Amino acid sequence: MAKIGKTLLKLDNVTMKFGGVTALNGVNLEVKEGEILALIGPNGAGKTTVFNVITGVYKQTSGIVDFDGTSLGNQKRFQVTALGVARTFQNIRLWGDMTALENVITATDVHKKSGVVGALFGLPRARREESENRERAMEILRFIGIDEYSDRLAKNLPYGVQRRLEIARALGTSPKLLLLDEPAAGFNPAEKVELAATIKKVRDAGYTVLLIEHDMSLIMGISDRVVVLDFGTKIADDIPSVVQNDPRVIEAYLGVPADAS
Amino acid sequence: MKIRNYWNLRDYGANIWENAGRPVRVAIVLVSIVLVGLLPFTGGSFLATPIASFDAVLVYPVGMFVLMSLGLNIVVGKSGMLDLGYVAFFAIGAYTMAILGTTTKLNTWEIMPIGIAFAMIAGVLLGIPTLRLRGDYLAIVTLGFGEIVRLVVLNSTWSKGPNGIANIPMPPHIGPLKFELENQRVFFWVVMAMILLTIWMIRRLSVRRPGRAWEAIRQDEDAAELMGVPTLKYKIWSFTLGAAVGGAAGVLYASKNLYIAPEMFTLNVSILILACVVFGGIGNIWGVVIGATVLGYLPDRIRFISDARLLVFGLVLVIVMNFRPDGLLPRKKREKAIVKREANA
Repeated sequence: MAKIGKTLLKLDNVTMKFGGVTALNGVNLEVKEGEILALIGPNGAGKTTVFNVITGVYKQTSGIVDFDGTSLGNQKRFQVTALGVARTFQNIRLWGDMTALENVITATDVHKKSGVVGALFGLPRARREESENRERAMEILRFIGIDEYSDRLAKNLPYGVQRRLEIARALGTSPKLLLLDEPAAGFNPAEKVELAATIKKVRDAGYTVLLIEHDMSLIMGISDRVVVLDFGTKIADDIPSVVQNDPRVIEAYLGVPADAS
Repeated sequence: MKIRNYWNLRDYGANIWENAGRPVRVAIVLVSIVLVGLLPFTGGSFLATPIASFDAVLVYPVGMFVLMSLGLNIVVGKSGMLDLGYVAFFAIGAYTMAILGTTTKLNTWEIMPIGIAFAMIAGVLLGIPTLRLRGDYLAIVTLGFGEIVRLVVLNSTWSKGPNGIANIPMPPHIGPLKFELENQRVFFWVVMAMILLTIWMIRRLSVRRPGRAWEAIRQDEDAAELMGVPTLKYKIWSFTLGAAVGGAAGVLYASKNLYIAPEMFTLNVSILILACVVFGGIGNIWGVVIGATVLGYLPDRIRFISDARLLVFGLVLVIVMNFRPDGLLPRKKREKAIVKREANA
């Protein structure tokens, strides 16, 4: 069990509006180093919007996103990644015509300095970084347990492997914080158990995980804390067993019984 | 499965290449270079073109088309940006040669780096504001840029407007090799050297960081950016390297043609070069080389049917694109390890 440390990511009163629609309404959220935090909520609650605000896809209407002492407000998307935030996508967005290994190597490039000139003339630093990246990427594929697929094109991989490759690619950027957007979507129960073990393994290797997921048993099994969003507002933030029995959470998920209202 | 390999020339060729050791590879490359280098001496054969002399056709259009198509392929094929104004960089290179060649004492080889630099600067200046656009919008802006460059040289006094610039000097001889109008084989060898240099550059970049960045941008630009690829930077690089090749082709073209005028740099050229890339196979170096060779050579070879020539040319394009919609040699990555594993089994 990894030690839970200082606050890594802090969303302070973040509001995100699209025209007249308020996707996030004054959300406060803290992710602490070394924890697995699950973000749950019904469809349209704003979970993916939280990810998009953190990674710079959207610029929040108001509020502050602070990551490890840096405000993410004015950063470009690739700069956010360089700072140490990496994500996976709800609908798989691998580079299909690249091999699994190349997908991960491309992600490892983020912390490297060599560019076009170094590559063209084969400067020593470029050569060194190339081989470092290759080794690092292979290491990550082994860590996630998909190294046997390293030379296969991403588009030809089985669905489950693609999902895991998404995680591997995100790890390639050596993130401090890993954002997983429904990593178990479309998995059968056995695959979910396997994935849960992988996520735990990732956390135990020193990464902090923020996870969006619908599957309650998966979440209850692995997360240290659960945050519940409903219509863009945070309605619960506690350890899994408490959240599970919170009447407001049950209401948001299952609706209010007809005789209660 | 074995038999299919023989029919699939690309895989067949790639297999030979991959299973060959270093000496064999060097031998293949050297023999190929020598064979292509001997092409100007085959003028008397069935390859000869009816009106223009064969070695002149090999330089322009064939060699020039191959060179420019390879340059455009960096932009369109590698990083997936549709550039309809590629002729602008060709024009910038040509006008640099024409103006500096007629007003200063610099020779072609001294002007070459200047022309390339101007084309690259133009690439960066155009790239910074426009490469935030994608797809069709980028195509329209680049199309506009191509026309702007042409209209500027058409209406400026320093470029002698529609009269064009004449008396551009030929390149000085390289050792015993003299450049002549009657016999253009030395020009051909120079174009060939430039093509080889471009191929070397593309191959080198493709397997390293820039190539991966371009590939990621082409396949999913948002995912690339979110995985830490500085997309704007690499798009500008791609644009600039493409421009450099176009500029180099322009310098040599002006120095070979001795005369240039704005009407040589119309939208048609951009489209034709793009057609070479698409016809040969977007993103595949060898496809592009073959595509540009065919499209450069064919119109001159069938010149004997005079007026019907463009009709036949168009027909060939339509028929080939129907049977091979991804071009003559499509970009398709092979899963090397899998191929090997199956071969062992």
